[in-house]
Amino acid sequence: MKKVLLLGASGLIAPHIIPGLETHYYLKLADVKPHPEGVPVLSVDVTDYSQVLEAARGVDIIMNWTVLRHDDTLSFQVNTQGAFHVMKAAAELGIKKVLHTGPSLVLGYYEHDFDIPDAPVTPSTDYYFISKYLSNEIVKSYARAYKIHTLCYLFQGLRARPENPLVGRDFPPFTIIYDDLVHAVRLALELESVPDYFQHFNLHSHLGQGKYSMDKAKRILGYVPQRPYTDLYKRTS
Amino acid sequence: MNVLIVGAASALGKAIVEEIGDAHQLRLMDIVPVDPPDKGEYIVGSSLNQDDCWKAVRGMDAAILTGEPPIEVPQDELERDQSLLDHATRGTHNLCKAAVEAGVKNIIYGGTLDIFRSYPDDVYISELWKPQPEPDMPVMSRYLGELTCREFARDYMVTVTGLRLGKVVNEEEVSDTHPDLLWLDIRDAAQAFCLALQRDTAEQVWWTQRWGLYHICADLGNPKYLINQARSLGYKPKHAFSNNWAT
Repeated sequence: MKKVLLLGASGLIAPHIIPGLETHYYLKLADVKPHPEGVPVLSVDVTDYSQVLEAARGVDIIMNWTVLRHDDTLSFQVNTQGAFHVMKAAAELGIKKVLHTGPSLVLGYYEHDFDIPDAPVTPSTDYYFISKYLSNEIVKSYARAYKIHTLCYLFQGLRARPENPLVGRDFPPFTIIYDDLVHAVRLALELESVPDYFQHFNLHSHLGQGKYSMDKAKRILGYVPQRPYTDLYKRTS
Repeated sequence: MNVLIVGAASALGKAIVEEIGDAHQLRLMDIVPVDPPDKGEYIVGSSLNQDDCWKAVRGMDAAILTGEPPIEVPQDELERDQSLLDHATRGTHNLCKAAVEAGVKNIIYGGTLDIFRSYPDDVYISELWKPQPEPDMPVMSRYLGELTCREFARDYMVTVTGLRLGKVVNEEEVSDTHPDLLWLDIRDAAQAFCLALQRDTAEQVWWTQRWGLYHICADLGNPKYLINQARSLGYKPKHAFSNNWAT
């Protein structure tokens, strides 16, 4: 069973995917704050390199789900400096796979377009987007220099699978359902090699609107939404 | 024009001050006091401090961010890298954000051509080539600073110019050493910053015109790094390291 360090285990995303991953991987959960449901986590501050390095010892893969939005100082320290620490630790310890994460970096610029392929990113000057964008550049540089197979998952929202059809509502763009994210993470953790050592992937769960393509995720990862969620957003007659 | 120079205590900062002379009213910013020219003043402050940034940009028409590392960087390698990264990303963002909010219409950033060093020497590198920064923080951080500035051109009506500098040296001081295709005399680097002050695209509706990117290097007979784009600014480097290349 692969050993995976999961940074950001107590945040807004990881608690929703840990249950779907823990039967398949030995997860070393880490965060700077307690888990919302009291699950034990290792106390690791991603802005402290020595803590990241120690946490990463003995694992096969690092997943970085840490994020801090919209704070002028902490966004850079967590998102940008933190990514540097993760990749530096991976390089130092010889860890050969990293899963990095961030927000969609095409959403703002192309929101009025359709059939949008893997377009060049347009991060903007917003603290959240730019600090994550810069982190991607750091990650890419380390990945290629140290041959660390690195995937970067980009999406904007996360939600539970609707249990019943939703009436009078549409699916928000770049939102991914928990189950699909678990599936995508498992694909990443099992992927043998990443072309050119770094690739970012646009991920979401709803293709019905004809907006953001996920051809690359399908081509390289084999990712497709696990069920046609369009069915749950259909107008009833 | 009122011009802020950040990193004014660095050798490059001093060369820019020398080049500009009395042509503009200067405000020099660094973490240590700097002797200002007759038509100038200085402010001691850090780009990591937002209040310092606000004081620095107030009343300025243009801001030159030299991109140079702080005068004092930690000895420890990790702490040095953290400091360089923080200054190039958060510090550059602080300065640019303060600048656009204070109405500064022209921002110039000193990046580096070192991001192309991994390419073989048998290609011509122009602004069209994809950067490939290695995880060497002095180089990578300058690239991240450049990317940060570029986003301000995208989001705001401001002229932003990225000058990717070669390896800045003094021609006389390297006269006995093996030449480097990246060499750029510090006086020619300063010339490029002065010329960039004349760019005025802040009112252009397309952000791609507000953003300008120029490779700044010596004018060699057989260059790897092409400077044709910079010639459109009026860039005419005077130091070609002829003696080094002749031997």
